[in-house]
Amino acid sequence: MAEIELKNIAHSYDYKSENPTYALNPFSLTWEDGGCYAILGPSGCGKTTMLNIMSGLVSPSKGSVLFDGTDITSVKTEKRNIAQVFQFPVIYNTMSVYSNLAFPLKCRNFDENIIKSKVIEVAEILNLNLFLDKAAKDLTADQKQLISLGRGLVREDVAAILMDEPLTVIDPDLKFRLRRKLKEINEKYNTTLIYVTHDQNEAMTFAKKIIVMDSGNIVQVGNPKELFERPQTTFVGYFIGSPAMNIYDCAVLSDFDVSIGNIQLKTSTNLSNVKSGQLKIGIRSEFIKLVNNKSENTIEAKIEIVEDFGNYKLITVNKNNLIIKAKVERETTIPHDVVLLNIPAEHCCIYQNKNLI
Amino acid sequence: MFVIAPFLWALSTSFKDFNSVTGGAKYIPWLQFEPSLEGWSVLIRSQGKGGVNIIEPYFNSVFVTCSASLLSIIFGTLAAYALSRFTFKAGFIKNNDITFFFISQRIMPPIVLSIPFFLMLGFLGLLDSLLGLILVYMVLLMPIAVWIMVDFFNRVPKEIDETALIDGCNPFEAFFKVVLPNSIPGLIVAGLFCIIFGWIDFFFAFILTFTKVQLLPVAIVALNSSVTPWWSLSASALVSVAPLIIVAFIVERYLSKGNLSGALK
Repeated sequence: MAEIELKNIAHSYDYKSENPTYALNPFSLTWEDGGCYAILGPSGCGKTTMLNIMSGLVSPSKGSVLFDGTDITSVKTEKRNIAQVFQFPVIYNTMSVYSNLAFPLKCRNFDENIIKSKVIEVAEILNLNLFLDKAAKDLTADQKQLISLGRGLVREDVAAILMDEPLTVIDPDLKFRLRRKLKEINEKYNTTLIYVTHDQNEAMTFAKKIIVMDSGNIVQVGNPKELFERPQTTFVGYFIGSPAMNIYDCAVLSDFDVSIGNIQLKTSTNLSNVKSGQLKIGIRSEFIKLVNNKSENTIEAKIEIVEDFGNYKLITVNKNNLIIKAKVERETTIPHDVVLLNIPAEHCCIYQNKNLI
Repeated sequence: MFVIAPFLWALSTSFKDFNSVTGGAKYIPWLQFEPSLEGWSVLIRSQGKGGVNIIEPYFNSVFVTCSASLLSIIFGTLAAYALSRFTFKAGFIKNNDITFFFISQRIMPPIVLSIPFFLMLGFLGLLDSLLGLILVYMVLLMPIAVWIMVDFFNRVPKEIDETALIDGCNPFEAFFKVVLPNSIPGLIVAGLFCIIFGWIDFFFAFILTFTKVQLLPVAIVALNSSVTPWWSLSASALVSVAPLIIVAFIVERYLSKGNLSGALK
């Protein structure tokens, strides 16, 4: 258990070349002890590099890693006492399930009795107790992944368990149960969990705090609600939420008013200081309401497509070639040709040069 | 047909005497003859009683082949692991170039190496000795071991090593406790190839030895004199391929059981 601090970390895989390309641009971040985190971002955005820097598999080009204030940047992986679970189950094929789970403790010369009790305890948590004597290679993919996970859990004092898309190979039902189990473990043992994923649902349901990354940069750190309601950049707006946020170019009309083409909208953002820069407005389709009467921030638009997703309906409308998506309850009766949409001012996010004002 | 027939031919010839071999059969060429154990008995009779010297070369061959194979596997595996996992760079020479350098030893015709080897062993005083042969065979067999093992290690995901490090092994423990046990199939295949190539080599065994030390292939060729003793030649040929066939059968069984499947996921 430890608080992990990444201080001014940057990493390039070709650091020594003349024009190094950075997989991770300089950043600082602190992972609180016992936290439950998710790192979310598209493939190749530097998520795995960040994990590998924490576990010591990659040494950062710049900056330092601190565990509880102690600089461990140059400490080797095997001395760091950290656990990492990879995307595909990594098991020791030639050993039994028991030996697999006991391996991290054996490497650290624990007493045989302690190893036994700890392995049995972990096996029970993960429902592996019936397979302990079996050869690990004979298990199914998800059981193998449980073993990988178990090897992280047998060490009580582990600084953090880093998981790199660990549930990719596991089927949806078990995925759900495992995520719950991980949360339980986090609450019961107060182990720091850091979970890398590119699946926003996984991140949203799992973590208390989400770190969104894009091409080597941390773009937003926040809880699911913040990410959803106030995306800090247009990227987060696009990346989080299904469908993605409606984002349009806009221009300032007055302190609180903007125009998208010839549509005029009131927002809750004070725009009096906005002088230059490319302006965009983002509106979540979940916040757009179907109304019957015209009022402020109401748009009359032509319906193009209505899609029924079972638990909700997604309507796509066209207003002067502006495509707007709105998510409405399934029971809502939708008129055939023209609808009135209300866009609440407090849910309009204004972006200057892609950053939230 | 092409695989079995020569063996059957040798087998039947080994039980014939001079007349049966040269005279030929009346009706059925392979079966119609008076069986004789002459061909086989020469092999085990002492030289004074008209026997040939084949038992000592036989054990020499076993010793040289096994030692050279074992050493090649040990050093070859270590080299292959390093080439598979670490990045080397010396000017324009990189990992792949080093691996190719190993293989290139087998690409050039052996005759190119014969004179340097002869001179080197002469300088070291190891001509006509078992140790000298083991050293030379190691040079011949190591490329095979490195080549097979590099390919094998490349297919073992590096996450396995990384996991072992995370679990608290140092890099050596990770190799010996985790990667190596997972690589037994590769080791067996590499070992098998080393044994085969070591066992069948005639060229270097012929050039680098004279009288004190003789290996089996040379001894068999030496059986040929003014009158070719087809019966004992056939018998010794069968004796010389027997170990390879036995090894191949055992390994084939072991491999087909699936115990050695290299899958890690």
